[in-house]
Amino acid sequence: MNPRLPSKALTVLRHGSAIAVADLAAVYTWKTWLFGWLVRMLSQVVFFTLVGRLTDAGHNEQFLVIGNALMVCAIEATMVVASSAWERSLGTMPLLVAAPTHLAWTFIVRSLQWVISGTVSSLVALFTLGPAFGLRWTLNSAAAAVLLVLLTALGTYCFGLALAALVADQPALRNIVSNVAYLGMMALCGVQVPVHYWPQPLQLLAQFLPLTHELEALRGVLQGAPVLRILGRAVLGVITGVGWLAVAVVVFGWAARRGRRTGAIEFGT
Amino acid sequence: MRAFRAGLSLQAALLWRSPGNLHVLATVPLYTLILLAMTDASHQAGLAPNAIIAPTLMALWTMALFTAGDLIDRDRHDGTLEPTVATPAPLAQVITGRICAVTAASLIAFAEAWVVGLCFGVHLSVHHPLTLVVGILTTSLTTACTAALIATLLVLTRGGRPYQNSLSFPFYLLSGIVVPIEVLPHWVHPISRIIYLSWSADLLRSAFRPEEPRQLPMQLIALGLLAAAGLACASVLMRRVLDRVRILGTLGHA
Amino acid sequence: MNAIEIRGLRRDFPLPNGERGALRTALDGINLTVGEGEVHALLGPNGAGKTTLCKILATVLVPSAGTARILGRDVVTRLATVRPLIGCVFGGDRGLYGRLSARRNLHYWGALYGVPGHELRARAAELLDRFGLTAHADERVETFSRGMKQRLHLARGLMHAPRVLLLDEPTTGMDPVSARDFRTLIGELRREGRSILLTTHDMAEAETVCDRATLIDDGRILHTATPRELGALLSRHERIEATDVPAQLLAQMGTRSGVTSVNTGPDGITLIEVTDQDALTPVLRLLVDAGVTNLATTRPGLEEVYLQLIGDRGMDVAS
Repeated sequence: MNPRLPSKALTVLRHGSAIAVADLAAVYTWKTWLFGWLVRMLSQVVFFTLVGRLTDAGHNEQFLVIGNALMVCAIEATMVVASSAWERSLGTMPLLVAAPTHLAWTFIVRSLQWVISGTVSSLVALFTLGPAFGLRWTLNSAAAAVLLVLLTALGTYCFGLALAALVADQPALRNIVSNVAYLGMMALCGVQVPVHYWPQPLQLLAQFLPLTHELEALRGVLQGAPVLRILGRAVLGVITGVGWLAVAVVVFGWAARRGRRTGAIEFGT
Repeated sequence: MRAFRAGLSLQAALLWRSPGNLHVLATVPLYTLILLAMTDASHQAGLAPNAIIAPTLMALWTMALFTAGDLIDRDRHDGTLEPTVATPAPLAQVITGRICAVTAASLIAFAEAWVVGLCFGVHLSVHHPLTLVVGILTTSLTTACTAALIATLLVLTRGGRPYQNSLSFPFYLLSGIVVPIEVLPHWVHPISRIIYLSWSADLLRSAFRPEEPRQLPMQLIALGLLAAAGLACASVLMRRVLDRVRILGTLGHA
Repeated sequence: MNAIEIRGLRRDFPLPNGERGALRTALDGINLTVGEGEVHALLGPNGAGKTTLCKILATVLVPSAGTARILGRDVVTRLATVRPLIGCVFGGDRGLYGRLSARRNLHYWGALYGVPGHELRARAAELLDRFGLTAHADERVETFSRGMKQRLHLARGLMHAPRVLLLDEPTTGMDPVSARDFRTLIGELRREGRSILLTTHDMAEAETVCDRATLIDDGRILHTATPRELGALLSRHERIEATDVPAQLLAQMGTRSGVTSVNTGPDGITLIEVTDQDALTPVLRLLVDAGVTNLATTRPGLEEVYLQLIGDRGMDVAS
């Protein structure tokens, strides 16, 4: 193994995440984040949770508030699909391809801001809206929730990266892909209705998404499920996340090679 | 009318050529599916109209907010605002035409939601067809007027843009497009009633209920008033836009 | 009637980050007349006020003081009658709908200028052909090169056959071949009787296509004249360029009456400036007699006038 690799990776991580943080600061001020973004996401959680009130009472609202609060970080993590396309519109894509670092690593650290922002948003939703809809937190369950939200954000971010790699040379599709991706997760992963509501093939598809497992683990935490079962689901979530990360690395490699061959990596706009 | 027509066909061509602008329409089937599943509409027929109407109104509003709302600012950014101002065509007419094209395109959402409903096994019966037609027309009109207000506001206030995205779910929640506002706390109701979507949702839902739509006149008046208010504000602001371009010279293309 | 008549035109802008009430003057009391059928160049460096002037004439900006008339109609008060008379081409490659085809763009802009529906197609096709864009007429404008976009801009400005054309830096970014075609086009438009105000910082362009040129800097007009008059203004001196002039003869030249300067550059070319036509002939004879056959008489180019009048600032825009 190349001994310089870890230090090189760290350097890319450090500088890449500096851009990510700068991007976050460019997209939001604390005021617009709080009153713009957070209010929007909390409203979304309440919007879907209240639908539970139409159908039946009690436990359904708790089911919905957990699912929708965790969904918040998944939505933000999926934004990596759109923000990866920013490189293209900035005209920095060819420079990244030409740089000696593997294209994937740059993209992996490039949009980490969504993981940070998403994790915070989800936790705010869980800890403020949750109790309003009947969730009871203990110190242990809260600590477990923090970890599970972070794992969800990271796993979904990896899934988003793979999608970003797939549409790397189709920037016009980025909004459609990211929206369809998160709504698909919202439908299939047990956020609004249990996974078993859907036909068998769709249930199987849901097993490949980190959100399905982490959400199951989080509900387990709140319902006092056995620790091993919770851990098992959390680890399954991590495994699917790592799987998507591998897909992303491979597909970004293809994208760079294909781009060089077809000339799809344009300079300028 | 010529400027209106030119704007209408320009925007239709732009929407056709840039499917990214129509991404909202890609979300409609998914939202419909999610809401139908949540309300388990195939077993509780009474909730099916809510699950079909909500994604339609969400699409109308999102398109008004992002596609129509961005029209003028985008033109400014692309350097097409000044050449448009330089033509003999009135800017307001051109923009109105373009907004109408966006609003008309977003009505596709209604068909999408309906089809998803059918696939899901939901057969909606329209008890008051005239109410439905009038409801769709007035909702479209009010959406267009509100979009004009957003478009002028966004080009005039730099600080407004970060909040553009946050005008979605808080509005859906407050206007009771799925869960009627009666479920919300009382103090919220006056705010809900300022948002035209709340009247539209009630009006459209009433078309699917067997009872007589007694609230219809009230709902139409409310929508008409909100449309007029939106249009009045938009035309005042449109004058401000032209002033900013021509007198202050601060909306230039460079 | 004059095509363009500008009297005491002034335009101030608030300073972007300045104190309240602090102003930057972009145009400072401009007077300018462009006759009907005239091609008039507005020459000046970036920031001289050329674009501000064009915007005011195009009715998209209101002056702070003074008046401007297009074919006798005031550009501030008579918008409805002025706008159909003007075709404006703002420089750069923006100002077109990139997602749409060239043809679709022309149809749209034509419609906004009130070109009747049945004429739109014919007119657009004719202009696309004229600007060599027919082969790309149905391609998205965003795929066009800069030069193609510039040509489309010109076509756009001509869709309603305006009597007065305002061209703001129309050749920026054009390749040399397109720029040459552009000059031919200006000639054609002049023959069609259109009046043209053309802003540029390209001397050669102004010199070849314009009837008159106005030098503008810092919001003020420095001088208006024909390109030839402007050239004569700098130095009434005639100049002789010669190569391989014997050193002895050079020394002799320096002391002759009527000769103002003798300079030999590192390239071996000697530049001899004389006071007037009368002094020119004897000097030429002397050179020929001494066996110097490689010689020419020249006049200063507009570029020199421009640099002289504007000073070193002019150098910044030479690139």
